[in-house]
Amino acid sequence: MNKHALLAMLAACTLLPATAADMNKVLHVAMNAPETGFDPAKVSDLYSSAINENIYDPLVSYDYLARPAKLVANTSTLPSVSVDGKVYTFHIKPGIYFADDAAFKGKKRELTAADYAYSIKRHLDPTVRSPWSFLVDGRFVGADELVKAAGKGALNYDTPVEGIKVVDKYTLQLTLTETNFNFLSILAMPAFGAVAREVIEANRDNTNAHPVGTGPYLLKEWKPGSKIVLEANPGYRKVVFDSVPGNDPVDRAVVKALQGKTLPRVGRVEVAIIEEEQPLWLSFLNRQLDVSGIPQAALQDALVINPKNPLDVKLADKYARQGMQLQRQQMPEVNFHFFNMQDPVVGGDSKDKIALRRAIAMAFPVNETIAAIRRGQAVPMNYIVPAGVAGHNPAFRGAPKYDPAAANALLDRFGYRIGEDGYRIRPDGKPLAVELASGTTALNKQWNEYWQQAFDKLKIHLNFKLGKWNELAKANQQGKLQMWGMAWGADYPDGENFMQLLYSKNAGDSNAADFKNADYDRLFEASLKLPDGPERNKLYDAMNKIVVAQQPWIFGDIRVRSTLAQPYVKGLKLHPLLNTSWRYLDLQK
Amino acid sequence: MLAFIIRRVAQMVPTLFGVMLLLFVLFNWVGGDPSYILAGKNLSPEALANIRHQLGLDLSLPQQFVIFVKQVLTLDFGTSWSTQQPVTSILHSRIGPSLLLTGSILLLGTVLAVVIAALVAYLRGSLTDRLVTLISTCAMSVSGLVYIIAGQYWLAHKAGLFPIMGWSDRIAENLLYYLPLPLLLGVVVGLAPDIRFYRSCFVEEMNHDYVRTARAKGLSEPVIMLKHVLRNAMIPVVTSLMMSLPYLMMGAMLLETFFSIPGMGKEVVMAVDRSDFPVIKAITIYIALATMLFNLLADIVYKLIDPRVELS
Repeated sequence: MNKHALLAMLAACTLLPATAADMNKVLHVAMNAPETGFDPAKVSDLYSSAINENIYDPLVSYDYLARPAKLVANTSTLPSVSVDGKVYTFHIKPGIYFADDAAFKGKKRELTAADYAYSIKRHLDPTVRSPWSFLVDGRFVGADELVKAAGKGALNYDTPVEGIKVVDKYTLQLTLTETNFNFLSILAMPAFGAVAREVIEANRDNTNAHPVGTGPYLLKEWKPGSKIVLEANPGYRKVVFDSVPGNDPVDRAVVKALQGKTLPRVGRVEVAIIEEEQPLWLSFLNRQLDVSGIPQAALQDALVINPKNPLDVKLADKYARQGMQLQRQQMPEVNFHFFNMQDPVVGGDSKDKIALRRAIAMAFPVNETIAAIRRGQAVPMNYIVPAGVAGHNPAFRGAPKYDPAAANALLDRFGYRIGEDGYRIRPDGKPLAVELASGTTALNKQWNEYWQQAFDKLKIHLNFKLGKWNELAKANQQGKLQMWGMAWGADYPDGENFMQLLYSKNAGDSNAADFKNADYDRLFEASLKLPDGPERNKLYDAMNKIVVAQQPWIFGDIRVRSTLAQPYVKGLKLHPLLNTSWRYLDLQK
Repeated sequence: MLAFIIRRVAQMVPTLFGVMLLLFVLFNWVGGDPSYILAGKNLSPEALANIRHQLGLDLSLPQQFVIFVKQVLTLDFGTSWSTQQPVTSILHSRIGPSLLLTGSILLLGTVLAVVIAALVAYLRGSLTDRLVTLISTCAMSVSGLVYIIAGQYWLAHKAGLFPIMGWSDRIAENLLYYLPLPLLLGVVVGLAPDIRFYRSCFVEEMNHDYVRTARAKGLSEPVIMLKHVLRNAMIPVVTSLMMSLPYLMMGAMLLETFFSIPGMGKEVVMAVDRSDFPVIKAITIYIALATMLFNLLADIVYKLIDPRVELS
């Protein structure tokens, strides 16, 4: 008997459809913004990704309990990686099947290496318009030629590509153009879940509405922007919960509820899109929702926040007495304001320009905005890579101390004198005014009040350029903005995803500040060749020091997410990278 | 009558062309570049250029306008730029909940407003009239949003009389379970201004000479009100109703958002947020067409109500 036949037999024993989910159990959850669709190569918003995560299977995924997040095998074993970090070889587990679909013409359709090759290539297809193409462009040996040959048309998926090679039915070999020891975390994203080519081709005009994957749930009903219903996939392979608890009591509760049980537990997940805070909160209180985030307006009602330490939080007694569960987690994100480094007033690397940027950073009260706007549910940002992402340094203090007096002294020292109108002028005697781009919501107005106060303290004229996000993004690409606020959430838990935000080759794209620094670039390129570890961390520290010295960004904050669950919800633990916990949740009413 | 209808239909063509031109100019002038929204985090010039090419935004403006004209002539607006769903199917799935909500609000609200307005007009000058007018004035000065927030909090959450929000595929469940609270709040929001408007229509009619003549002839007050005043007062009522009908399609944005009703109001907001031009185009054109058709219908109904009306 050959090796593959043996493997297939073993798999058949362990991957038999289990249908463990109790179809009478319905989990009610909500999202606070509308999704766009369920084609993993076409959508990038958090809400669509949350659904896709439950329908499709990436090659690898994350352990539910391990912190920091730990990659584990999913439909593939963990790959072997070549010594130079360029060749990743995956062995797909035999006996995994796609959910039934008309495109399969009544036959069971097994997941193979070719499905992953096809799914990865779709991100390179110009006609797919993948928002994730930046993660794969130029990554695979030979893929550029394929893309070039396609021009503006569709990719020829049948053309062999050396870097995306199907070695045999169950073996996929990815060969990268550059060393990258962290590529695996990219492949764990829901965007790289496997789709079946025949399903995509049969539904070419509307792939967003026709998701068919190998994941624990399938799409039963979709009312765009209103309601999404998932049902347990009856053909889902047998997946038994097996995770080692850490010291967190939540871990022990999860293990107690799930250890040895097959997943998913709940047969049906109903997702309501509730954009307004009041109905979201009231629906949770009235038990129309089983799990919910806490809207900003309800934080004071739901939580008891220590005024001296806003992160010291417990659930309000009235809800704790009902047995509700509170879980909190710092998000893998950074919020910051950037300067246009090519702008003649605020950009450049001369000492007076650096002093101006530093003074503005020193005059902005991050702690006050955390208390007043975030209601204590955020921590100051001090490093480009946030906590929970490989490469973070908790000891690094990158944000300047809030000190308007010192900021004014700095401006005085570098020639920004007070003019006749009581406001500062530039060292060359020209008038000084800074323009800050902003949205038009009530929340934007709150932030702008703090910015106005900061600039008033520095005696610098501040103007606001108000607009919709896409208008401002376009203006920024054209170099027409001076300052703007931005947030970046982790696409994958590796520092590279954040450090690239200031790499010069990404200027005009993810490098919104248009920051160009040869030393930073050199260190960044060196870091790409290293796996996560002390050697790479040293480079990251050096790059952070350059950013602190040059001040292209004003470090802002990192939000803390609070989630509540009803007493009968079992198995909940927030994960920094998995968007949902639905497959792990059980309802014991 | 037929000549009038044909003439009015013919006049709709240039009007619709004007609407199309205005919409196209406005979208291209102030609508923002949708490629930045659709690009997600990938804002490279190549990615943005590819999106513009795929959407046809790299064509010249006249070419894009010709495509728009063809879409209007075939009533096929293609697919949504953000969700890639056919626009027709999006509107088809949204129109039902919106019509059920706004239609029932309009129907119930109008009946209540006309009855109360007729009653207080009949009792004009009395304590009841003054009280209703005072309450209506106060009620009008409160934002509709306040009614919705307070109604949802007190009636659904605190009193538990209604669900907080939701919508079903079954019409009976919607009518009996999900619709009553948004319907009640929608009626309450619109009732006060309608009562005041209709009351003034009735009072104006009651001051006419023919009412005095009817009384002199010895007709009873109920007969005067129901047979003469009501009929003549219906012309402004019909005008108001007909003007409202096209907007039934638009749904009730706040109610739909607060009660998670999958209607057109929510779709309009989403489409504008996402610069989803195909959806915006379709909704605008359908509203424009409906407005013109209902205006025509209103003129015809005037003639039916009052044969003295000349259609010219």
